[in-house]
Amino acid sequence: MRQVEEKPSPACTSAKSLSNYLWSDHPDENKWADCTHCGMCLESCPTYEQTGQEQHSPRGRVHLIKSVAEGKLEVNTQFMDPVYACLDCRACTTACPANVDVGGLIEEARGQIRQAMPLTGWKGSVSKLFLKGLFPHPNRLNSLGNVLKFYQKSGMQKVVRKSKLINIMPDHLVEMESIMPKVDTSVRKKYKNENVIKSTQPTKNEVALLTGCVMDVMFSDINESTINVLTRNGSDVSIPKNQTCCGALHVHAGDRDTGRKLAKQNIEAFESSEKVIVNAAGCGCMLQEYGELFREVEPEWHDRAVAFSKKVEDVSKYLHDTGYKKPKAALNKRITYHDACHLAHGQGVRREPRNILLDIPGVDMVHMPNADRCCGSAGIYNITNPEMAGDVLESKMKNVPDDVDMISMGNPGCMLQMAIGVQKYGRNQKIVHTVQLLDWAYQKEDGEVADNGI
Amino acid sequence: MAFKGIKTKDRHIQNLAGIVDGSRSILYHKEDLIAYDCDGFTIHKHLPKAVVFPKNTEEVAEIVKYCAKHHLPFLARGAGTGLSGGAVPLNSEVVISLVRMKNLISIDLENRRAVVEPGFVNLKLTNSISDKGYYYAPDPSSQYCCTIGGNVAENAGGAHCLKYGVTTNHILGLEVVLPDGEVIELGHNGIPDAPGYDLLGLLTGSEGTLGIVTKITVRILKNPEAKKTVLAYFDRVADGSQAVSDIISAGIVPAALEMMDKTAIEGVEAAAFPVGHPKDIAAVLLIEVDGIAAGIDEQIAQILEVCKNRHVREVREAANEEERARWWANRKTGFGAMGAISPDYLVQDGVIPRSRLPEVLDRIEEISAESGLRIANIFHAGDGNLHPLVLFDARIPGQTEKAIDAGSACLQACADAGGTITGEHGVGIEKREEMRFVFKEEEITAQTNIRQVFNPDNLLNAGKLFPTPGRCGEVKKEMKEALLTQ
Amino acid sequence: MLVKEVVNELKALIPEDRMEERKEELHPLGNTGQICIYPVTEEEISAVLKYADDQGKKVLVEGGGTKRGFGGTAESADILLSMKRYTGVTEHEAGDMTLSVKAGTTFKEIQEFLSKYKQQVSLDPAWSDFATIGGIVAANESGPKRLGYGSSRDVVIGLRNVYPDGTIIRSGGKVVKNVAGYDMNKLFVGAMGTLGIISEVTVKLRPLPKYESLILLSFEEKHLDGLRKFSKELLDSSLEPVALELLNPSLSKKLIGESSYTLVIAFEDVENAVHYQEEAVKALLPSDIKMRVAAQKEAQKFWQLFYTISPNGAIGDTEKIAALKIGVINLTILDVIKESHYLQESFQLEVDAHGGVGHGLGQLILKGKSEDLTGAIYHIRDFVQKDGGYAVVKHLPLALRKKVNVWGDKPSYFFLLEGIKSKIDPNKTLNPKRFIGGL
Repeated sequence: MRQVEEKPSPACTSAKSLSNYLWSDHPDENKWADCTHCGMCLESCPTYEQTGQEQHSPRGRVHLIKSVAEGKLEVNTQFMDPVYACLDCRACTTACPANVDVGGLIEEARGQIRQAMPLTGWKGSVSKLFLKGLFPHPNRLNSLGNVLKFYQKSGMQKVVRKSKLINIMPDHLVEMESIMPKVDTSVRKKYKNENVIKSTQPTKNEVALLTGCVMDVMFSDINESTINVLTRNGSDVSIPKNQTCCGALHVHAGDRDTGRKLAKQNIEAFESSEKVIVNAAGCGCMLQEYGELFREVEPEWHDRAVAFSKKVEDVSKYLHDTGYKKPKAALNKRITYHDACHLAHGQGVRREPRNILLDIPGVDMVHMPNADRCCGSAGIYNITNPEMAGDVLESKMKNVPDDVDMISMGNPGCMLQMAIGVQKYGRNQKIVHTVQLLDWAYQKEDGEVADNGI
Repeated sequence: MAFKGIKTKDRHIQNLAGIVDGSRSILYHKEDLIAYDCDGFTIHKHLPKAVVFPKNTEEVAEIVKYCAKHHLPFLARGAGTGLSGGAVPLNSEVVISLVRMKNLISIDLENRRAVVEPGFVNLKLTNSISDKGYYYAPDPSSQYCCTIGGNVAENAGGAHCLKYGVTTNHILGLEVVLPDGEVIELGHNGIPDAPGYDLLGLLTGSEGTLGIVTKITVRILKNPEAKKTVLAYFDRVADGSQAVSDIISAGIVPAALEMMDKTAIEGVEAAAFPVGHPKDIAAVLLIEVDGIAAGIDEQIAQILEVCKNRHVREVREAANEEERARWWANRKTGFGAMGAISPDYLVQDGVIPRSRLPEVLDRIEEISAESGLRIANIFHAGDGNLHPLVLFDARIPGQTEKAIDAGSACLQACADAGGTITGEHGVGIEKREEMRFVFKEEEITAQTNIRQVFNPDNLLNAGKLFPTPGRCGEVKKEMKEALLTQ
Repeated sequence: MLVKEVVNELKALIPEDRMEERKEELHPLGNTGQICIYPVTEEEISAVLKYADDQGKKVLVEGGGTKRGFGGTAESADILLSMKRYTGVTEHEAGDMTLSVKAGTTFKEIQEFLSKYKQQVSLDPAWSDFATIGGIVAANESGPKRLGYGSSRDVVIGLRNVYPDGTIIRSGGKVVKNVAGYDMNKLFVGAMGTLGIISEVTVKLRPLPKYESLILLSFEEKHLDGLRKFSKELLDSSLEPVALELLNPSLSKKLIGESSYTLVIAFEDVENAVHYQEEAVKALLPSDIKMRVAAQKEAQKFWQLFYTISPNGAIGDTEKIAALKIGVINLTILDVIKESHYLQESFQLEVDAHGGVGHGLGQLILKGKSEDLTGAIYHIRDFVQKDGGYAVVKHLPLALRKKVNVWGDKPSYFFLLEGIKSKIDPNKTLNPKRFIGGL
């Protein structure tokens, strides 16, 4: 572990300003100037739904963030609670009549809090382990993947489950352990010697794939599916070597410096790509917002970041917009669709994945009420705020229709969380990524999968 | 006795925490309270002493009894979307938040009624019964998030109250905690015309100054068989406004008849739900007719005819439900949308006899010119309810005061035209002084006398609704001073 | 003080020719005054009231006198203030669809005036050629069409009230939407004149319907279960009847010559829509039920007759009659109407009954001997109270009003009603004991 950091001293303080934001990279005044405190955001907010308390609502948080800037509040633990309880699900941004970027403000405020009060204790360790020790380092993640693989294959998982060892893990970690997906070989490893994975059809486009960190380790089969689906529809796929974690989790947690570091690395890694395809909504959303990170700090990167962001597209939207073959084989499943927050609210992608599913023969789409309500995963929120995440998940699961075979979505974090939900509430739905379904349908068409394959 | 998890020595906080059963149901830190220092009216802010979250009537009654006994001022709050400051804790009140009392208690479709707790969100009621073909009629623009308890307190209106009436026309019964903690039931079983003075009607719209509503029986309606929506663009406001009068005079009672002027259109088009209104248009009318399908086409034909006679530039029917929903989202988020073209706005809520619209709009234009502030107008044209939105930037010294004065001048214009100062937002803090535009001193006293019957110690939501006797000019000044020291 | 002296003092306030001493025999309905005064201005109303309040005189208020048998236990007050001559429209702007009218104007006059503009006040009170708008509002009178159009409390948007101390207090305003201050209109609507004299009423108007028709459905006793089912289906449909009123056989016989339970369904809309709804009712109807359609003039004739079925305190034989207003949960009114049959049998009364299936309000008109009347009143009150309803006696001879509690029991919050009364009328000058609990 790294040594404990000392509390940093303010980098810039202004004698004139009343503001209690003492560090650089201030929450953006223009963002809250649009908020008229009308309250239209309240019902969209999962944490307000759970608590009924306005400091846990979008407009309440904006009001708090503004109050610090006005010198009425200080950056302290009481201020931190509501700001960190936000799931960053962006539902409020959709609900807001004036398009207030609440999520952006929250991230900026978290940046201030982290600088004022570095994390300590259990949360600090977890956070540091994941954010600094793991995600920025694909190799370490891979190693972790290998450990997990070993854990599952060696029978150790069984041992842990059978022995009482599992009983001493915190509840929410037990829940996570139990739904851990089967770990396969990551696509970065698999294709490490190929510069371009050629399309099986005449090439229409060339795209670069962000493999993601969690995605490539825990859900490498989804990356595999993504590559299959893209190459089948006329896209050559490259996997730029120097790409790294998107930084979303760091930025959500207030570690904007690491966020910037990762952003710069990705901007450079994808410099020569014209299109960057992402299959993890959280990552896609982050990549599209890199410009925000360089608004005040290292502004020389700002324009490059914005240009990069314009190249980023979710795989479902890309397929939808550039065209894809409708599979001929029928899947004959009842499927409901969950809108990942960072896809629906963050990127405005709602219709595209649903249309893709509807184009698969035999798919019976069942409406999920409040489909764009957060599931509580929210990056590593379910690890840092397990109680709230659990409550939000419970509400979510109430909306999942009983009689469906699968829940489809476009974000790995949601997939893990929904898997916990399915298990915790005794449901039996399979959790799938939208491109997986399309891939399976293609495979079935090719006769590669048996009917019982899925 | 220290209550678990409560980190203050304040014995009132300790005791209140005991009533609501714990630290998760009370807020008392400044950082938490600041979210409660105002509602949808942001000009006047004040921190509450505490916010408590009761879960049932008994807890509300206990809290109220405790406050009454210890002379702690208190008030009730719902979603805090009110636009006149009715839920602002001017006197450091204990805020009783009713949002956790959000159950739908019962639905009786046969007898067309539902019973809800006060924290139940307006639109959720319609959503709970729409599959059976029923709905709850009052539809304030904030219906996505405002609570029915708050609707009762403010006697909320909405776009469709032209035909179906405002909240008071749909309330059949109330359970009320009086300011001394006694619980009474008005409109037993939701049966109309209970013998005795109509306290049900009096309580509705009393802005939380007579009691705290803890259970509400509402009337629900069957969905109209058919619904048609028309959008009409006019190059002159006068033509649009004349079209409104013509429609009404033709004997049509539209379900809704809404108007927005050029500045308002600019706002909604720049915001989250644009529909592509032409930028150079002076007024847009949104007209909705509902009822028996066989009768609607005739009415629509008449409406189109009227619009043509009034030089409409373009008029068209919504092609489908999706388009209709888009038009309404555009209109209903109109206030918040002003955030997109102005950092702050102040919304006014005057009502005028609808035939006086053109002259009042002229006057508002003058007020805008005099103050140097832009004023957008969103108008429930059918019932004469005018919402001038004064756009300003609170960061520019002096603008807030100017905006307040301009808003007040708009209300004076409405009162002068034979109208009133508020149609649906309530008086709250904002329009206390403007009450004098429409009521004489003894008429105001007649009302405060009624308050005394219910709320003799004035602990419940004091300082709202009525001007301070004899200090009319001073309060306004006070308000401005408070602003400057914020 | 002698009547003569009071008259002398009043002469300073009001010309003698608009004042009369009532030397007649005491009226069987009571609620009369020793001196009757006919003010023609609001100032006169105010002056007389202030005088009475200062001098400890009691004042009764009367409009057309139709509700003379409604509440009150006094034979006579010191002053009877008749609003009959305080009449006329004060403001009407057709485009605004509002009307301000002096309280003594009869309902019929108002509707005739408005019909020129194809407008109406959407209330349907009894005896419109007698009943004044002030009286209708003060008693919160409504009829079957309340289902479609609401009642006085929905229609009234502004009032001018003369308080007992003579001050004029305006409530509401002249616009249809108004939440400035407390909704004081509601206090005065239905207060039976115990909180002030309503001098002017402002109402919102509706267009006259372009077409109207009535569907009359006759149900035999044995089909009453079918009636309930049919009513539910009708209410659950998207049809928009403005009235859905059930008549008992006795009343049905009087109105349409058919001695059976009759459901009256009224439609008012554009002609197309009315006919469409007639057809829709036909489709819903059980096969063995007789259906008759009465359109336009015929429908209007039905209603004219209907509005004269209840006792009128101003005319006719009003002695052996009682009329009750019943309020129950909507569909329960069916049981109340059926119960009228029992009343008829066990109390040897003639009972006319009707009630609105969509709003739960109804009326029972009982004719017979005193002891039967009181017995029936007690019985029906018990009957409706079982389901949480109420029965208010709207008309009863004075002698019986002294025995029967016409308003029923006081509510638990009566102290609030008392508090309001004592704030406004501390000397109990106005309409003493006319209202619930002796207010």
